[in-house]
Amino acid sequence: MNSSAPTAGTSVSESPRQRRVSGLGIWQSIGPVVVCLALLAVVVISNPAFLTGGGPGILALQGTFILLVALGQATVLNVGSIDLSNAAMAVLSAMVLAMTLGDLGPIALVISVGLATLIGAVNGLLIAYTQVPSFALTLGTLGILQAASLVISDATTVYVKGSSDILMPLFGNFFLKMPWAFWLAVLLAIVMWLLFKFTRTGEAMTAVGLNETGAIFAGIGNRQVKVMAFAISGFFAGMAGVMIIAQGGAASSFGLGSDLLLPGIAAAIVGGTAITGGVTNPLLVIFGSLTVALIPIASAVVGVPATAQSLVYGLVIIVAVALTMQRQSNAIVK
Amino acid sequence: MTTSLFPEGIALDPDAPALRLTGITKSFGKVTAVEDVSLEIRRNEVVGLIGENGAGKSTLLKILTGIYQPDSGTIEAHGQVVRFRRPQDSVAAGIGVVHQEQSLLTNLSVAENIAMSAVARKDAATRYGIYRWKRLNQEAEAVLARVGSSVDPRSIVGDLPFVDRQMVEIARALRVDEVAHVPPVVILDEPTSVLERDETATLEREIRALKELGSAIFVSHRLDEVMRICDRVLVMRHGKLVADRPVSEVTQEELFHLMVGHESRAPERPEGRGLATGVPALEIKGLSHKGAYRDVSLSVYPGQCVAIVGTIGSGREEVCRAIFGADSYDSGQIFVDGKDIDHWSMRKAVRNGVAYVPAERKVEGMVGGLSAAENLTLANPGPAAIGPFLRPRARRKLAAEWFEKLDVRPLNPQMRLERFSGGNQQKVVMGKWLMEEDLKLLVLDHPLRGLDVGAAETVNAQIQEACSRGVGVLLIADTLEEALDMAHVIVVMRDGEVTAHHDLSVESTTSLDLLERMV
Repeated sequence: MNSSAPTAGTSVSESPRQRRVSGLGIWQSIGPVVVCLALLAVVVISNPAFLTGGGPGILALQGTFILLVALGQATVLNVGSIDLSNAAMAVLSAMVLAMTLGDLGPIALVISVGLATLIGAVNGLLIAYTQVPSFALTLGTLGILQAASLVISDATTVYVKGSSDILMPLFGNFFLKMPWAFWLAVLLAIVMWLLFKFTRTGEAMTAVGLNETGAIFAGIGNRQVKVMAFAISGFFAGMAGVMIIAQGGAASSFGLGSDLLLPGIAAAIVGGTAITGGVTNPLLVIFGSLTVALIPIASAVVGVPATAQSLVYGLVIIVAVALTMQRQSNAIVK
Repeated sequence: MTTSLFPEGIALDPDAPALRLTGITKSFGKVTAVEDVSLEIRRNEVVGLIGENGAGKSTLLKILTGIYQPDSGTIEAHGQVVRFRRPQDSVAAGIGVVHQEQSLLTNLSVAENIAMSAVARKDAATRYGIYRWKRLNQEAEAVLARVGSSVDPRSIVGDLPFVDRQMVEIARALRVDEVAHVPPVVILDEPTSVLERDETATLEREIRALKELGSAIFVSHRLDEVMRICDRVLVMRHGKLVADRPVSEVTQEELFHLMVGHESRAPERPEGRGLATGVPALEIKGLSHKGAYRDVSLSVYPGQCVAIVGTIGSGREEVCRAIFGADSYDSGQIFVDGKDIDHWSMRKAVRNGVAYVPAERKVEGMVGGLSAAENLTLANPGPAAIGPFLRPRARRKLAAEWFEKLDVRPLNPQMRLERFSGGNQQKVVMGKWLMEEDLKLLVLDHPLRGLDVGAAETVNAQIQEACSRGVGVLLIADTLEEALDMAHVIVVMRDGEVTAHHDLSVESTTSLDLLERMV
């Protein structure tokens, strides 16, 4: 009944199994890289033209969208919550950008990304102060945002009015045949890594994700931390919205970006982020995102029929997570 | 399913006691928790078991319920030698328990809880694993009727007052005789500690009535209750049974002495320490929280160590949690360093230099998944951060200094804190607060719980050092001796109220004085 009783005296001894983690520790830090490279190797061996042709560009294109939402998702997962509304947020902010870009130019970028950040912050505030679990609350916002997108777009495709030239360079190639947009997302991943590693806020987020009660008892404002995490998720959804317009010049409720939710979660987890909170590394999430982006490409070059692609997708996700996740003896299973 | 040690209809030796223990000893490492205890519980008798915290009562009860196996000695039930290798064995011998912590599931009905008891037969109340509600409720009603309770079996446990829940627990414990076919022995481990004083009268009556059905072992901290309810009292001290007296031949006063043994007296204190001078680090006025404590007022001055003593249910833990903002309170005021702060919260407490070392170390006191160094600097990073930015190198240096100061082992501050032993974890938890230069008040909730002697010494030394640098300390000690050793002032609480206030710089207080106001 009361679990505190037996733990009181048992803390002193330590099982030898726990001590043998150093090998595992290294694997946890490079596992997502290895999984990604292995999958890439499969693709290149079956189709050597992949590297010399447009392969890296296509991969980076897909990877950019996934990486952006995955970084937001990883931040939210790190504080022990989940954000189911981020893809819908990306679509909505893309629409807002499409509608305003022609008239306002660069200010439209600020408005659309700012709007998404604000919606994220509102998500966080509602979760922090009403204590509705994030899964339920963001499931609700997901529906609301989807409806809002349908209403403002009149259920059609919203094209950029006037010129979207200022976004064009984003999809010009920059390095390793991969576009600017991808490298911008990588830069943001590095910023997030620095945030978690070298700031009090980042550490507070990790502490809340690991043991919220313990963090509160150390005087950490758990509510502020959660609001911050959801706002960051909103910001990244807004950035994904920018990329949607940059690449397609249009946004719709069913078009580009509308199916990013699950790949985003998958990329965060394949990148070693713990769904239980407190464990994430944005640099590994880059590789998680590339892995998730590679799966459809890989199954196509290997010759899996299109109808069976989601089967491969599912299998690779399970295997990748099984290979990279942190395990503890007698851990809680969620 | 549990089967009885006593086949149905067997002729029991009518003169054999329900339970006889001979020479029971149990050690944990070097510590002997129960030493050569021999006792008898006769049929149709209520026996009190008393002793201070750590006297060995709990260990003895765990031996009787099959949770621990004794190192030596024998147990006989109704004249037959038995061995309790697991809890089911003790049930089979007719021993039922009402635990100190309530073990009912509050979201289920009374009948469901009774049906779920460890001894419930796979009976007619279920068919193909599905409850037959009518039967279930009838059976529960019958079980409750045995203890004279008229609680509706359909009511949800969470809606019942504590006294009714306790009756349900007792009724459930009594079901052991359905399996054992002998008059049951029911162990009641501080059943009254969660009750208000006026509620206990009902319970007392029912416990006395248990005599008709079998025997009872009644563990309590309240001596007046023991005197009223029991036929006989067993007193334990330092693991030994030191007295076995009929209540008619003993007084409460004598029981005090038997429990405490020698009178511990506060050691002489250096002059001028722990005086009530300056602005109090903490002052609380008329603090109340319904059901936990009423009108509690006390002050802690800088450099003073104030200990609150009291039994379980005295409300002292709740008061300390309210002071740190961990729990809310209904009325009253909390002043920290002379300031009255609105909307008191843990965050504000930490910012105002209040620190709390909780009894629930793993859950509340630390973030086990972070490294020891990260835990040390989590609340007040000091030189380990500039503004919002962390300085890993400065933190490593700081952590190394504190590891040496607190003698934390192994000497690896980068290791996750959950992988350290309990004592070393506690040192890090203490260090986290002591690092704060503006620390005003240190609230310690059982700081030595579960620590070995060496770790306890380190922690105590740190408490004294905090006092000498002008931090006010509010201490909930594990034992009266610990309180007398450490404190300048001792506040005694009973049933949520302050019953005494001893300034050890002017009085020579003994543990007996304290105990008298605690129970």
